Amino acid sequence: MNEMELLRELAQQTPLPAPAELDAARARLVAAIATDPATYAAAVAQVTTDQPYPATGEPAGPLRPPAPAPVLTAARFMHAGAVGTAAYLIVALPFIGDIQGKMLGYPLTATPLIITLVILVGVAVIALWLWMAHAISQGKNWARILSTVLFGLATLQLLGNHGFVQVFFAALTWLTGLPAVWLLWRPASSAFFKSAKAARSLPPSQISGP
Amino acid sequence: MRRRGGPAAADDAAVIESSWREPERFAVLFDRHAPHIYRYLARRAGRQVADDLVAETFLVAFAKRDRYDLGHADARPWLYGIATNLVGQHRRDEARRYRIRQAAAAEPAVPGHAERVAADVTAQAMRTLLAEALAGLSAGDRDVLLLIAWEQLTYREVSRALAIPVGTVQSRLHRARAKVRQVLAGTDAGATYKELTTNE
Repeated sequence: MNEMELLRELAQQTPLPAPAELDAARARLVAAIATDPATYAAAVAQVTTDQPYPATGEPAGPLRPPAPAPVLTAARFMHAGAVGTAAYLIVALPFIGDIQGKMLGYPLTATPLIITLVILVGVAVIALWLWMAHAISQGKNWARILSTVLFGLATLQLLGNHGFVQVFFAALTWLTGLPAVWLLWRPASSAFFKSAKAARSLPPSQISGP
Repeated sequence: MRRRGGPAAADDAAVIESSWREPERFAVLFDRHAPHIYRYLARRAGRQVADDLVAETFLVAFAKRDRYDLGHADARPWLYGIATNLVGQHRRDEARRYRIRQAAAAEPAVPGHAERVAADVTAQAMRTLLAEALAGLSAGDRDVLLLIAWEQLTYREVSRALAIPVGTVQSRLHRARAKVRQVLAGTDAGATYKELTTNE
């Protein structure tokens, strides 16, 4: 055994990485590719080839890199949150008077106004879940920040709940939001939001012809 | 004039050429070579630094892809060259890593069966010596030695990777091997090395 073989033996202590270990690095490359002027040129060429009407020479819309797996999973969690909220609304509607009474500390009749308000708030929360899921899939960084703030508020709300049904659904919502927010701040997600922002801010003048 | 090698190797140049017009094609090169480049960087600079350096390597390669010589079908030497240059910016980290490896290897083995302890001590002694030898090499000599010993690059490929003549590769390798041999043989633990080399 000579020194070269000894060195090779030493090298064998470092195995090849698992594919997931390269996700962040790949996301950075994909981000760089997405903001490369040649990508725009290729997209323009594609648009001009596909369009049945005379092309303007500009892309149809801002290009962005494909959302990485953590962002897509976070969006799925948000869709699940919307479904959970809808389920809560359906289950809770017959008990609105009871729930309101417990919250306020005295018996309350579920008037049509209160029922309407509860439904409107429920629908608004469902819409918020779906809106956030859509916005983060589009690479909107403000949606990531807003989602995190809303999760913080949900944490506060979790602490102020009473009654089994309320606590159960609040905990369910919180447990849906937790992995979503965690995934949104993974390195691959951060690279995606950064590149999506860069792609939106790139002026059309940087687009060169093929 | 493009030189056609094996199918996979020929693909590298074709992929880079197509990435000039369709940049997303460059991701193919990442999928093909990133695991090996990562391992090389992890061996030299540690896993934590390798995470960042492998991304940097491919970002630099992507930015310079229009200057790639399509006459070279296999892109590995080019990528290893970029990776080696990036390691160069972490020379201090690399030297510290070898010293840490030396210190770790110098710790006594956990008590156990006599044979296993003896084997552990021998392996640790060899690792200590190798780490010491690597830490003592000049940067240029170490680059050549490790690209050949660890990454199995040929002289010509190392010459391409480091942009130095083949003759320089050979002389650096010769010098590096001599220094490593000297360290391995010149200490108490070198007796083990002598035994190993005489049993070849």
